[in-house]
Amino acid sequence: MRSRDGNRTFLRRFLFITLLSSLALNASEYLISYRYVVKDSALYNETLYVSKAMKKCDGKEQESIFLNTDKEKSLKKIITNNFEEFIYYIHKLGLHINHKDKTINLEHTSTSILTLKTTCFKVDINDNLAKITPLK
Amino acid sequence: MKYSLLIVALLSTSSLLSAFELFNPFGDSEDSETTKMTSTPTLQTHPVQIADTPTIEPVNMRPNKNLLTQTQRVRVSVIGQGVSPTQTASPAQAYALAKRAAIADGYRLIAEKVKGVRVEGQDLIQNMMIKRSFIRTSVNAMVKNANIIETTFKDGLCEVEMEIVLSYVDFSL
Repeated sequence: MRSRDGNRTFLRRFLFITLLSSLALNASEYLISYRYVVKDSALYNETLYVSKAMKKCDGKEQESIFLNTDKEKSLKKIITNNFEEFIYYIHKLGLHINHKDKTINLEHTSTSILTLKTTCFKVDINDNLAKITPLK
Repeated sequence: MKYSLLIVALLSTSSLLSAFELFNPFGDSEDSETTKMTSTPTLQTHPVQIADTPTIEPVNMRPNKNLLTQTQRVRVSVIGQGVSPTQTASPAQAYALAKRAAIADGYRLIAEKVKGVRVEGQDLIQNMMIKRSFIRTSVNAMVKNANIIETTFKDGLCEVEMEIVLSYVDFSL
């Protein structure tokens, strides 16, 4: 049979672990990749993939971006609501460009592909703001 | 009579000698030297220079001098162009899509300026005519920290002025 003091310490430990786990759950990691294709100076295709990381990412934290959540909990919805701002931020992070030009019998065609390779982001979602930090 | 015959003989020998000298290419006279020079031309080592025309020195494509120093920064500025697709839901969408295309063009121009372009060309000529002309260029680079300075949108064409500042630290790590 446990004493009263023993139960109290057990309760304290339980509460502490619950608090820590809840904080850890708030800061989750996501994998984001972005790619768009421009053909003959017009946007042809654009894709943005967001998925939760299945294992812990390594790397140093880079410059963060803060987005308004509007009480949304899903990162996909938060990014969709602030799409232009997020895309501008991704451009600043750095994109890989692959451009190809063809001129056959003086007829010109061009294709540019800009890509953000799959990058791990640490995401903290609070009531009003979502802090998104790339790990590299 | 004897004297006349002697004079005729002397005249004929002198005329024969003169004729031999005229047609002899390897004679010792100055005229024969000029004919020798023209008959066997040699390659001239010195370039032909036109009066008052400076000679052009070959351009060194890879100067030894470093463009980036620890105290100096290089600013690269470009203007990217993009057009909106023919079918868009609204003018705002057209603007957004054209701007995205213009940014991609700006990134490409920055990459071309900083890293360079790979160019391949091929011409097929048959019967003294070009049958097929083929030029292919490609750029592969990673561009980060490019800034948008100004954006203009007029008649479906979006122009984005972009710049990137290169410093020694970016490449020394």
